[in-house]
Formats: sequence, structure tokens, C-alpha cells
Amino acid sequence: MPKFKKVQLVLAGIFAILFFRFYHLQIYQHSKYEAKAGNNSVRKISLHAPRGIIYDRNGIPIVDNRQIYDLSVIPFDVTNQFDYQMVSNRTGVSSNELKEKIAKGKKSFHRFRPIPIKRHIDFETRSHLEENKLSLPGTIFSEFPARTYPVKAKLTHVLGYLRAVTDLTISIPNQELDYKLGDVFGFSGIERMYESILRGRDGTEFRLVDIYGIDHGVYQDNPGQQPTPGKSLNLSIDSKLQALIEDLFTGKKGAAVCMMPQSGEVLAFVSAPDYDLNSFAGPVPIELWEGWNSDLERPLINRGIQGLYPPGSTFKLIGAALAKEGGKVDKSWTVNCNGVYHLGDRDFHCWNTAGHGTVNLDKAIFQSCNIYFYHLIQKLSFNNWKVMAENFGFGAPTGIDLLGEKGGLVPGKTYMNNKYGRYGWATGNLLTFIIGQGDILVTPIQVAQMMNIIATRGNTKTPHLLLDSPSENITLSLKSTTWDFLQQATWSVVNHENGTGKAAKINGCEVHGKTGTAQNPHGENHSWFAGYLVKEGVPILSLAILVEHGGKGSVEAALISHKIFKYAQKNITL
Amino acid sequence: MLRKILLYNNLLNKIIQVPDKIVFRWGMLFPVIVLICISFITLKYTSVNSSFLSSTFTKQIVWFGMGSVVFILAQWIRIQYFQEYAYHLYGLLIILIGITYFMPVIGGSQRWIILGPVSFQPSEIGKLLLVFVIARVLADQKGNMNEIKLLLFILIMAIIPALMVFKQPDFGTAIVYGFIAIPMLYWSGIRSFYLFSVIAPFVSIISAFNIYIFSIWMGILVLVIYFNQPKITIGVSQFMVNIGCGIMSPFIWNNILYSHQKERILTLLNPAQDPHGAGYQVIQSIIAIGSGGIWGKGVGEGTQTQLRYLPVRDTDFIVSVIGEEMGLLGITVILVVFFTMLYWIIVYAGIISNRFSSLTLIGFASILFIHLAVNMGMTVGLLPVTGLPAPFLSYGGSFLLSCMLILALSTNIINHHI
Repeated sequence: MPKFKKVQLVLAGIFAILFFRFYHLQIYQHSKYEAKAGNNSVRKISLHAPRGIIYDRNGIPIVDNRQIYDLSVIPFDVTNQFDYQMVSNRTGVSSNELKEKIAKGKKSFHRFRPIPIKRHIDFETRSHLEENKLSLPGTIFSEFPARTYPVKAKLTHVLGYLRAVTDLTISIPNQELDYKLGDVFGFSGIERMYESILRGRDGTEFRLVDIYGIDHGVYQDNPGQQPTPGKSLNLSIDSKLQALIEDLFTGKKGAAVCMMPQSGEVLAFVSAPDYDLNSFAGPVPIELWEGWNSDLERPLINRGIQGLYPPGSTFKLIGAALAKEGGKVDKSWTVNCNGVYHLGDRDFHCWNTAGHGTVNLDKAIFQSCNIYFYHLIQKLSFNNWKVMAENFGFGAPTGIDLLGEKGGLVPGKTYMNNKYGRYGWATGNLLTFIIGQGDILVTPIQVAQMMNIIATRGNTKTPHLLLDSPSENITLSLKSTTWDFLQQATWSVVNHENGTGKAAKINGCEVHGKTGTAQNPHGENHSWFAGYLVKEGVPILSLAILVEHGGKGSVEAALISHKIFKYAQKNITL
Repeated sequence: MLRKILLYNNLLNKIIQVPDKIVFRWGMLFPVIVLICISFITLKYTSVNSSFLSSTFTKQIVWFGMGSVVFILAQWIRIQYFQEYAYHLYGLLIILIGITYFMPVIGGSQRWIILGPVSFQPSEIGKLLLVFVIARVLADQKGNMNEIKLLLFILIMAIIPALMVFKQPDFGTAIVYGFIAIPMLYWSGIRSFYLFSVIAPFVSIISAFNIYIFSIWMGILVLVIYFNQPKITIGVSQFMVNIGCGIMSPFIWNNILYSHQKERILTLLNPAQDPHGAGYQVIQSIIAIGSGGIWGKGVGEGTQTQLRYLPVRDTDFIVSVIGEEMGLLGITVILVVFFTMLYWIIVYAGIISNRFSSLTLIGFASILFIHLAVNMGMTVGLLPVTGLPAPFLSYGGSFLLSCMLILALSTNIINHHI
């Protein structure tokens, strides 16, 4: 064979090896590398689904969405003109830190990839920065859905707030809703309770991204999926009434719960002090939350369902109901009140130290005479009293659609034996229980629920915030005369010339109620007023007002109730 | 004055010779046109984001225009000049490469001689000069010298500049310098067994890292030695040398080399070990080629290319771009036309009886071949990343010019003799 043929043959052999290597990669392993090339360049971007909007009972939006923005900078695009000071002034990020970050980014391989500077800036800040775009080369904004609260009513404790997912394993209540790091979720209130309705489903988009992270638009071969917005909610709240009550509670601590007696729909729900959900953008910043948490006024506590208070004289209605139901007393059974009652070596006082004189059950309610009840409890059974209290919903959570509700405490024999020992307690304790003091603890919503029961003669529903939601019936069968008495007595509290609840009276409608002045170990008495409003023969609003350390129930709480009734008289219809 | 002109004229006469005829050898030139067209199409889309004047596409067209002029002008060169002055030119090459050591470092190496605005890379044209000097030595020494001495002499001639450029450092060019002597030696008629003996120790060193491959290689070695029947002492010593190389190399590897030196070599051998350095480039290149399939993703549609996952896509890895966008079809076209070109050069080298000219053609073919083979082998992970561009495909003016010059001088030689 000639030499040149041999050389050509060797050459052909080497070219054949090259060809088969390419053949191997491009035909045999094609699908493997095709997938790898796809993974290289296609990025899955998630599109945030807007959360559901929350409306009040009249269709007024009380929680809406707004766009807030995350500010990022592409280091490569930053020039010497970049105004670090301006960004610093607007966002609070120190300009030195910013300079360092960008200088470092410029040197890195990922200099085309945006680095986050400040999360959750609002529209105004963004506009300011956008106006000066020329001196801020390389800045970009990405949208982030946040909540806004367009009405005057804050409704802080009902609505609750959002938090960002920082740890996928611990912090999220509804794991099945497909959360990703950085997503927000309802951490408290309605936002949490109805998270699965409000959240919606995030969409996805596939985008082509080059090696530096520069976006080259949507990937045509896979259109992704559009986000499904969260469903909206209608609350039973009347946002105007809510705003009115919030105003009345300015500077006070306490709680107010207003409901529709027949349906259990919550019309207003105030816990003071509160905090401003509009004071931050996006999820609650951790410093702010820690501030609230360490605040001695404890704004994070939802007093309406978590605040435990002695009910004071509002609880006398339980004793009265029991006395009536058992037929133990009638109008003719009277007690002489001279302001003090001696039991053993202890003195038990009436709030009216001058005494009420001769008192029957009616008068004992509307004048709120303690001495009468000291005598009455000794005619009644402790067990029956406890059962009656529980029939009126005390000692257990009402089941309102908010998390963290407390059940309070109605002491019974077992409880007393456990706490004080078998012989460590006596009739003296019972005397305090009947007037709503001592170990008894209730929440304001329980007191309001008691008013629902009285106003509807035992035919109401579980308190709830979501409008038109199915809720459980509450039925309590007592003798008709018992209901008559309770309604009559509470009417007298407000309408009798000597009634303790006179301050709550309005003209043109029938107001029922009961005042309470709860002694407590922390200072000035708590002021209670619980009652309901009857318009044209139908109960349309029940309420429980508690003002911590507000003094006499006949004053502070009754005055607030008066204003609420006035509003309701005009604006609330069934 | 007249003397001066005559002297000048004399020099010109040495270099220039009016050709009797200019025949375009289309067997060689048509492949170049195909390769250049593929290159242009590819560059057109890799440089789609740059302005018209600054795009590699436009620049490469300009360089090709200049290359065509060079091609024509080169037909007037008197090829014997290179034979007559081969040693002078070799000396000049050594001096020029030496000068680069005193030049500023550019991109981590000293390859360029910079004279004000003009800079050039002597090692580039040096490939041709080395071909001339080896062809000259082999042409001169026909039968006058002991074959082994001749072999060693040629190898030393090649290794001196190879080591010099290796120190610049320019690994790729060093490989070219080291390689081109071997086909030329074979072509000159030296016994294959001697060539084999020279290459064998290198194979021993590399194969020693795998005991099975080393065993197989030793078997081949014994067979080759046995069938060539050298003197028993030579055969045994040759065997011992190879065994020694095999044993020494793992020892040196484990005990003498520093870890960073080892890393560098390992990366050359196994790119996956260093996904962000040179290995990263090869991985992306293989993904690009593999994802291209038979027909490719279409020109300008390669995601690896257009989204810049492929590094140095205009130069070293342009074959990967072609593999991705034109598929196995494009690669096959490249392989076929390139083989055709080399095929015809070898055919002419076989026809031409003038030893110098014939050897020069083989040397030229070797230069083109080693560039393409190393470059394509690199893109598919068969060979380490060395930075050798692909002839007529990769973007780069001076390299295109020297490739065109090689073709031009080949044409010149062929026309002169046939």
C-alpha cells in the first residue's frame, strides 16, 4: 500500500472516532442532554395569587390588596452616578452597607443577577425612587402582594395579620396549601381562620434565563399556569359601628362585642388597646411584633375572647334565673338591705353602703343589691347554680370563628375542693360567686352571648364572624315566666328611675341591660354593661362592654352602650 | 544608490517568482468555502446582540477578505526561498519567541511581541517555519545520517520551540509543535518502529494510572517489540524504559507534585471534577452538542449558545455551537469536508517528487489536522481543554490568516510542481 494511502487511512480512522463520539452524544444520549439543556435555561417563576378580599356585612371592603415592592439592584448596571445616599434616605439601608454589597456583587460571577436591597417598600417610596431613575441605574422593583385596610375601622384583632414563611417545617398551620419560602400566610384572626379560602393558588410561569440570570422572556413551549385568586369573604361586621366603638375606646382598655341576638352574627368586635395593621407594609416585621409582644398593655391579647374577667353583677342574672326557674322565691320574698351582711366573722358589703331597704328580686336586679343575693344563694343549690351558668354558655368557649378563644371558669364543688381543700372553702365563697366575684372568670363574648340567650328566650346561634355561614343553634328551655322575668328585670335596670343602667337608656326603643362593677386585684374596678336593644318588638342588637378599671358599670360602660344603642336604633335592621 | 537598488532587487528575486499558472485546486479549496460559510452563519447568530461593526461576524468577513488577498499574493512567493533560508528562519523564530519573555503579560501569558500599536504572536507563524526547517533537514539528510540520530535531531529541533511556547505558557501551540514532526518523520521514510519507540514512553506514563490499561499497553508493547525484532539488548532496554516510566509516574504523582499542580492536571483529564473552571466549559459544551440531536435546534435557536451557557462560543467552542444548532448533520459536514481537504493535500504530497515540497505539504496538513482534532476532541470531552481553535471555523483574524496562508502556500507548491 502506498504511504499516502496509509496516512489517509489513519486520518479516516481518527475522523471516524470523532464522528462516533458526536454520534454517541447527539443520537444515543440526546434525550439526556436535551433535558439538561432545558434545566439550564428554563426557570420556574411563581406568580403570586392575590388573597381574597374581605368585605363587611354591607359589602364595604375592609381588607383589600395592594402591591408593595421589593427593591433589587443588578450590580453590573450600577455606575459611578449611582446615588447611594438617596436609596439610603428612602429605605433606611445604610449607604456604606449598600456600597459594599454592590461592589462585591460587581466582582462576582453573578453580577447580572439582581441582589435584594430592601423588601416590602410601599408605592410612594417606589415612586420617589423611580422619579430619580437616572441617578439610580440598575435598580429594579418586583411586585409583592400585601394587605391594605381601606376603612376607618381597624378591626385589628378580628382581621389578624400575615407573616412570611421563614421555615417550611414549623410555622405554617395549613401545610397542604403548597407554601414556598417567602410566601405569606394568615398568622392570626380571620386571615388565619379562613386561610384556605383566602389564599388562592399561585400560578407558575416558565421563563428563559441565561447564565448571568438575565431574563429572556416567557418560554414559549410551556405557558405555565395562571394564578387563581383567593375567594373573598363577607364578614358580619358593620364597619361603621365598629369604627364608632373603636373611637369610643380611644385611650381605654377593654373590649366590646356586639351581636345580632337571633343569628349570633357579630356586628362589632373591639379589643383595646390594639395596633395598626396599616402601619407596616407586607408581613409583620419581626421587630414590630416583638414590640407589641413586650408591651405592658398587651395589645396582642384579643380581650374579647381571651381576656378573663370577673363578671361582677352581670352574673346576678344567673342566680335570678335559677331562683325563678326553681320557684324558690316569688315577689313577696324580700330581704332588708342595710348595706352590710354578716356571715360568721366576715362582713359582706353591698355596693350601696347606705343600704337598699326592703328588696325583692326585681329590685335586687335593677338596683343590683348584693345583700339580697347573699341571702338568695343560701336558698339555692351550688350545683344547680353552676349548671345554670353553664347553660348560659359560661365555662366553655362560645365557638366563635377565631382561634385562641378561652373558656373562662365557673367554679364547682370539685374545683373548689381541688383548689382549697375539702374544708378550705365555705358559704362565704358562694356569696362572692353569686354576685360574680371570686374565682369566676368570663370573657366579654360569653357575657354578650348570655344577652343573646335572654333576648331570644333561649333560641340563638353560636357567635360567628363569617356572614351567612352555617352555625350551631343554641337552645335553652326555661319556663316562660323565667324568660319574662329576666327580660323584665333587665328592662328595669335601664328604664326604672333608680335603675343602675339608666345611662344606657334611649328614647324610641326598648333597651335591656345589666351593669357590673367587677372588683379585681389589679386596681380600680372593671366596668361592665351587658344588654340588648329591642326595636319594634324584635331584638336587633346585643352587646357586652367591658372597660378595664373603668369604675362603676353604671357609668363608663353604660355610657358607651348608650351611644351604640343610638347608632343601632338608626342603622341596624334585621 | 544603484548598488542598493540592485541589492534590493536581488533580495526581491529571492523571494518573488512570477507563477507560470495559478490553478485553484478545488478539492482543497471547496471544503474551505464550506467551512467558512458555516462559520459565518454561526457567528452571525452568536453576535446578534452586538452592533454591526463590532460583531465578530462582520470582523470575520473582513479578515476573510484580507485572507483572500493574502492567498493570491502568496502565489508569487518563491517557495524555494524557505528551503534555502530554513535555518535562518528557525533561528529567527527562536529569537522572537525569546523576545516574548520580555513583553508584558496579557491574559496570564506572554505570547505577543508588542511594537507600539502593532502586536503579533511569533509562535503562530512559527508553526509554518518549523515545518520548513524540519522539511529541509529531512530533505537534506536523505541516507546521509543514521536514522536514529536524524530522529533525535528532528525531535530536539521541534522540542526546543515547543518548550519555549509551553513556558509562555501556551500549551496548545506546544502540542502543535511537538506533533507536526511525527507525520513528517513518518513521511520521510523513517522506520515506524523508531517512531513508535519515541511515542511509547508517553503512553506508558499516562496509562500507568490504570493497572488494566497499563497491562494491555505492555502487552501491545511486547508484541510490537517482538515483531520488529531489534537487537535483544535494545528490545529489553526499551521494555525496561517503558516499565520504568509506568512505575515512576504514579510515584512522582503521589510524592513530588504539589496538590495545586495535580488539580490542574486532573482538571485536564476529568472536567467534571471542577464544574466552575475548565471542566464547567466542557460540561456545557457536551450538553450543547448532545442536546442538538440529528438536525440541531436551528440556527440562532440553541439555548446553550444564545443564553450564554456555552463559554467562548465564537472561538474555542464554536464547534459546540454548530453541534447544538446544526446537529449531527452540521458536524458530519465539517468532518467530511475537512477530511476531503486533508485527503487531497496528502494525494498531492504523494504525487510531488520534490522531497522538501512533499514534506512541507504533509507538515501543513499536520498543522490543520492537529488543530481540528484537538479542538473537536475538546468540545466532546475526549481531550483536555487547550485553547486550540478550529481552522476556518473559529473566530480570530490572525489564525484565519495563517490557515489561509497554509492553503495558499500549499496551492503555490502544488502549482509549482504539477
